[in-house]
Amino acid sequence: MTGSVPSTTVVDDIADDHEVDDTSIKRLGFGFWIAISWIGLISIAALLAPLLPIADPNEIANGAPRDGILGDNFMGTDALGRDVFARTIWGARISLGVGFLGILLGVVVGGALGIAAGYFKGLADQVISFLVFSLLSFPSLVLALLITASLNRSFLTVAMTLGIVGIAPISRLARATTIQFADREFVQAARVIGAKSRRIIIKELLPNVLVPMGALTLLGMGISIVAEGSLAFLGLSVEGEAISWGKSIVDGSQTRDLNQNSHVAFVPIFAMFLTVMALNFAGDRIREYTDVRETAF
Amino acid sequence: MAGTGHAPLRDDHNVLLTVRDLEVEFPVGRNEVVHAVSGISFDVAEGETLGIVGESGCGKSTVAKSIVRLNDIKSGSIDYQGNDLAQMGGETLRQIRPDVQMIFQDPISSLNPRRKIRDVISEGIAVWGNTKGSWSQERIEELMVAVGIDPKFGERRPHQFSGGQCQRIGIARALALDPKVLICDEPVSALDVSVQAQVLNILEDMKARYGLTLLFISHDLSVVKNVSDRIIVMYLGKFCEIGNADELYERPRHPYTRALLASIPEPAPTVDVSEGDIEGELPSPIHPPVGCRFNTRCQHATDICFTEEPVMQQVGDRDHYLACHHPVEVSVG
Amino acid sequence: MSDLQLTVEDLYVRFPTSRGTVEAVNGVTFTLEKGQMLGIVGESGSGKSVTAKTLMNLLPRTAEVDGNITFEGEDVRAVAKERRKHFWGVKMTMVFQDPMTSLNPVKRCGEQITETLRYHLGDTNATAKNKAVDLLEQVGVPEPSKRVDQYPHELSGGLRQRVVIAMALACEPSLLIADEPTTAVDVTVQKRLLDLLDGLRRDRGMSMILITHDLGVARGRCDDVAVMYGGRLVERAPTETLFADSRHPYTEALLRTIPRIDQPIHTRLEPIAGRPPELIDPAEECAFALRCRYAQPDCLEAIPPVGGVKGQHEFACFHPANTARGRQALDANLAAGQTVTGLQIQAAAGMN
Repeated sequence: MTGSVPSTTVVDDIADDHEVDDTSIKRLGFGFWIAISWIGLISIAALLAPLLPIADPNEIANGAPRDGILGDNFMGTDALGRDVFARTIWGARISLGVGFLGILLGVVVGGALGIAAGYFKGLADQVISFLVFSLLSFPSLVLALLITASLNRSFLTVAMTLGIVGIAPISRLARATTIQFADREFVQAARVIGAKSRRIIIKELLPNVLVPMGALTLLGMGISIVAEGSLAFLGLSVEGEAISWGKSIVDGSQTRDLNQNSHVAFVPIFAMFLTVMALNFAGDRIREYTDVRETAF
Repeated sequence: MAGTGHAPLRDDHNVLLTVRDLEVEFPVGRNEVVHAVSGISFDVAEGETLGIVGESGCGKSTVAKSIVRLNDIKSGSIDYQGNDLAQMGGETLRQIRPDVQMIFQDPISSLNPRRKIRDVISEGIAVWGNTKGSWSQERIEELMVAVGIDPKFGERRPHQFSGGQCQRIGIARALALDPKVLICDEPVSALDVSVQAQVLNILEDMKARYGLTLLFISHDLSVVKNVSDRIIVMYLGKFCEIGNADELYERPRHPYTRALLASIPEPAPTVDVSEGDIEGELPSPIHPPVGCRFNTRCQHATDICFTEEPVMQQVGDRDHYLACHHPVEVSVG
Repeated sequence: MSDLQLTVEDLYVRFPTSRGTVEAVNGVTFTLEKGQMLGIVGESGSGKSVTAKTLMNLLPRTAEVDGNITFEGEDVRAVAKERRKHFWGVKMTMVFQDPMTSLNPVKRCGEQITETLRYHLGDTNATAKNKAVDLLEQVGVPEPSKRVDQYPHELSGGLRQRVVIAMALACEPSLLIADEPTTAVDVTVQKRLLDLLDGLRRDRGMSMILITHDLGVARGRCDDVAVMYGGRLVERAPTETLFADSRHPYTEALLRTIPRIDQPIHTRLEPIAGRPPELIDPAEECAFALRCRYAQPDCLEAIPPVGGVKGQHEFACFHPANTARGRQALDANLAAGQTVTGLQIQAAAGMN
């Protein structure tokens, strides 16, 4: 049937010859790069903490107890004389770590559940939605308490707790985004072609669902970092000598410290504030940047 | 079951696709169903273009989507070369899918905004591999040229193309699998008038070049007439009239066909403009009228139309079938 | 000049966007006589809807507008601030393609009409309600006293559009702008809506601007038809003249490209090559030149001004169709097999 290559039926659109280039016009902006720089800096510092020329964060009486921010130790010491700056850097390891691992778990599990619910609909959707609603209607702090109380309070447990708390909202978003695309004609076209569900999900749906999810990952990481802070106040953050921002803030939050040595709490608070802010900002910009244009005009 | 009758079905061995007593319902709200398609029968001969015309809500798109099994079928059969598509599912259905392809209404929505158009067009080959011999990357280039898209733009994404170009990309995607039947669901209604002709001409050319059989669905009577050999007029899930395209437009006999032809801005000369003044609203497809479904709006309706459903019957000796108790008499010219 | 209801002179509308400035309307000039029905025909992006929105002061704040618009002797673009709220929607009103743009989904149809009456005319509740039933009856809504208490979602698309028309008529406008009023409805509903609009403007002596992409709709209903392309008005003439003796190659091509119901089946259509023009930074040339069978070198050097006979048959083309000059240009292009823009052309069936 195919015969020789035929000539075109129509004269091709002349307007094609000039380059339609729209991505170059959209820019991430200066603010985005500042935010990313901060996130990069704090991440590198956290990763390299053992190699950095900073004090041992757990060494008691590294300096005079309750040294001021401009004292002998850079950024002062806490009530036990531990170096605040070193503790903040080391705290970033745990805080960023549980934040990242937690949200990763949330996105992978919540995303998979949400996409499955949105694509297969019917019974799958009903079952998944029931699970998700159950999770949502459970107070997240109680849930966290249950998990940490029944297991231990290791790094992985805390990360897992944060992740489980994130599964429900993330799966709702993934489901909503999937539904938005699952009935689109390009998905129908793929079915008519004979693509299997797995291929449709990977090739047609994932690229459209993942990008908004990617932006959400950054926002969610910020939320997880703050949530770790809340857990620390309940005594549910990582146990033992491990340092997190949440725990450092708790350490500096006794009334006497807050009144006279507010820097003990405020240095980690400030680090947390800047980081969460930067994550939110960067996530938001990426979302705007990757918003796909669908029409030529 | 009150079907519309099998009279229009032909025994001809050229028949490629036979739809028999197709019934499709969609659940809505509290245990109610929309009667989208209610017992229709028709066939399509190889190499033929069959047009289905009707207003929104008449079920024409549902017929199209049923054949490619994008919706569930309540009852009836869809026979394609000895296979009943209505009964098939899973892998057996998938194996037969390449033969029956579809073009969609919205050219923008039918292309994945995040995929390059070369990937979009070659998706069929990516799914099926080169199992048919004629499926190859060269064929992708050939198809792009055939539909008037320069292959050098293959790396671009859909938003960099106009609506007409996107629709042509959709045609190339459907043809990549060397289908036998191409179902076109309102393929030009989302396009500007100045590019509709490009797409219609390409469809005609592709039909000739690749030996396609076309099912062409549209609400536009002029467009349907231009491309079709035979035309079906649909109303509220039922067929009103089937006929040879020329015959149907020259001697329309169903009051609804005549109303359509009289309503268009430049009415057909064969009908009186006043026949387009059909009163009232389209009845709800949840509770369609008993008897003839057009009875609430028909100028000719009598008692029998409210009790007995008209069955498809041949009129004259031509290929012309009608479901009406009171067909309009036309002079046979 | 007293019978002129609306004058639009040198209207320019631009929208700054991240991709550049969209030149949506480029120097549109036209007039409308009292009681006249003018059709404005064009494709998406031709500037027809933007022109209407400019008249109705509905453009977003970012739009840059230039030009003169005079309605019943008054400069529309300089209406005093205190009169603004009772200017649009009273003497000059508009009906949109989607009735739900104008209808509030959570208010009863009657309320939406009485609100207009009370706001603009200061009617009491009781008078307004009576008037609303009256208006619905005039626009052919069956059982109007029942419909006033219904919500828009309880009505069909055709009925909703009738309610919108009733709202537009509430303050007895002298000009009604209908922007694709029947595009979203089926042909049988379309016919009845157009019959209604046609009847209303005759009964009330209203002027009307009917904006449509459908040449057939314009042909059946309008006194004059103006064709827009690329933000410019390329041709305007009394309806029959425009269809029988079109001058602008775009009009001619459009008429030839549409499948017609009186043609035999499988009639080869004559497509218009290419795609609609870029509105961002358009070149200083005829916007249609790239797709035009008549194109000559001069078409690429300047934008053709509007010529022809003013007030009768105006067109913006250097080589108008159905004239000696146009035939000459076409013959030369046919002989060469292509136009100056490289567009491949050949004699089509039915060409002279």
